[in-house]
Amino acid sequence: MEKVKALVYLTAGLFTLISGFVIYFVVLYRNRQLKNKQEQEKQQSAFRQELLKTRIEMQDQTLSRVSLEIHDNITQVLSFVKLNLALVNTPDEQQRTEKIAESRELVSQAITDLRDLSKSLSLDHITRQGLVKTIEAEAARLTKSGVIKADLATTGEIIPLGEQRELVLFRIFQESINNALKHANATDFKIVLQYIPEMFTLTLEDNGSGFSPAAASKGGGSGLKNIENRAALIGAVAEITSAPDRGCRIKVSLNPKTKDQYPNG
Amino acid sequence: MPVVVIIYLLLLLSVSIVGMVRYNTLTVYGKVLAWSVVMVFVCNISNKFFSALYHNNAPILHTESILEFIFYSAIYFCLFKNKVTKVAVVASIIAVTLFFCYNAIVLQPFGAVFPTNIYLATLSLFTIFSLLLFRQMLLYPLKINIVKQSVFWFNTAMLFYATTMFFNLGMTNYYSQHNWDNFIYYFWYFILCVFHIMIGIALLNDSQQVQLDS
Repeated sequence: MEKVKALVYLTAGLFTLISGFVIYFVVLYRNRQLKNKQEQEKQQSAFRQELLKTRIEMQDQTLSRVSLEIHDNITQVLSFVKLNLALVNTPDEQQRTEKIAESRELVSQAITDLRDLSKSLSLDHITRQGLVKTIEAEAARLTKSGVIKADLATTGEIIPLGEQRELVLFRIFQESINNALKHANATDFKIVLQYIPEMFTLTLEDNGSGFSPAAASKGGGSGLKNIENRAALIGAVAEITSAPDRGCRIKVSLNPKTKDQYPNG
Repeated sequence: MPVVVIIYLLLLLSVSIVGMVRYNTLTVYGKVLAWSVVMVFVCNISNKFFSALYHNNAPILHTESILEFIFYSAIYFCLFKNKVTKVAVVASIIAVTLFFCYNAIVLQPFGAVFPTNIYLATLSLFTIFSLLLFRQMLLYPLKINIVKQSVFWFNTAMLFYATTMFFNLGMTNYYSQHNWDNFIYYFWYFILCVFHIMIGIALLNDSQQVQLDS
């Protein structure tokens, strides 16, 4: 009888041990799930904040560019039109016709410039037109303005990367243009967008004064750090290579297939 | 035929049907699991025929022991993410197959003796595999509720089966000495029934879509 009891206890002990282990595992697993969920929420919140910051920066940059454009270009054109119209009172019929024709042409140019500006004022155009068209328009505008010669090359079949990721990529592009103009005094700027099924790369290269990466990291280099952080935010990797007098090259690579992790991707 | 055997065979048949009906929606691991249940069912039916016709079911038990190990190891191979662990699973399949041949020829002849050596070795390996899979699950938790995860049910079934069957086999001589053969018999079928109920739940919860969503 004692042996039967011992056997029953032994069997019960074994079952308790297995059940205990499974229950402990379930509790541990749920804790891990909860912890992961919290971390994910934290990451998403940081992502949203950074995205908001990106949007504000883009708006700031666009507004200052618009202000500059109005001041340097449209105001000048319209002043010239005003001057022309003041000379219309001349008795010379031919000169009057010429002045009016010239004024009409200038007003037409001002209207075109204003239309372009109004397009760039809206942040929605990146959603509507996509990254390639937006960068293309920006490159054309930069080249036309004469501040820098921007060349764009696209390879592969263009696929949408998701609104938020394209917004961040466009901001990286803007940041590198800023660096090329403000710090590097570059005259040429090359933009390459490469689409292959497993990988998308955005390469931005200028012919400016360049910098030593070690010196840049010592001196803070918040602009470059921002590019790296923003790339990481959308699951991309940014490689920045530069040397004094040899320009700067920024290469952002990301896997388009991981877009489901990113909202609106 | 005892009632417990009929219940067990009906259970096996039901789980096999569940596996085959849901076959197209199952993941690779689920498909292997479904076939493993069919294999166990076929082995059990053959076992009854051999017992009735030849009064010897050892060849079937030998065959079932190695097939069972290959099927379950293949499932673990599909489920493990770590390459080293995958290699270890393949190595264990090779080692156990070699040991199976040696055991069937020298230690426990194929046509005469129940292959306890193979069972003890494979059950120990199943325990290790299940613990490793539990560890992997903790390292990479999914978003979905654990009780809706097929892998959880399969792994719990394996841990339960491997540990309790090991215990049962370890105690066999003791039971025999004390004339508790009935206990071994019923305990054996109890373990198998619980194991296959959990396998059935695993097959019901397995879905390619769930794997994609998680």
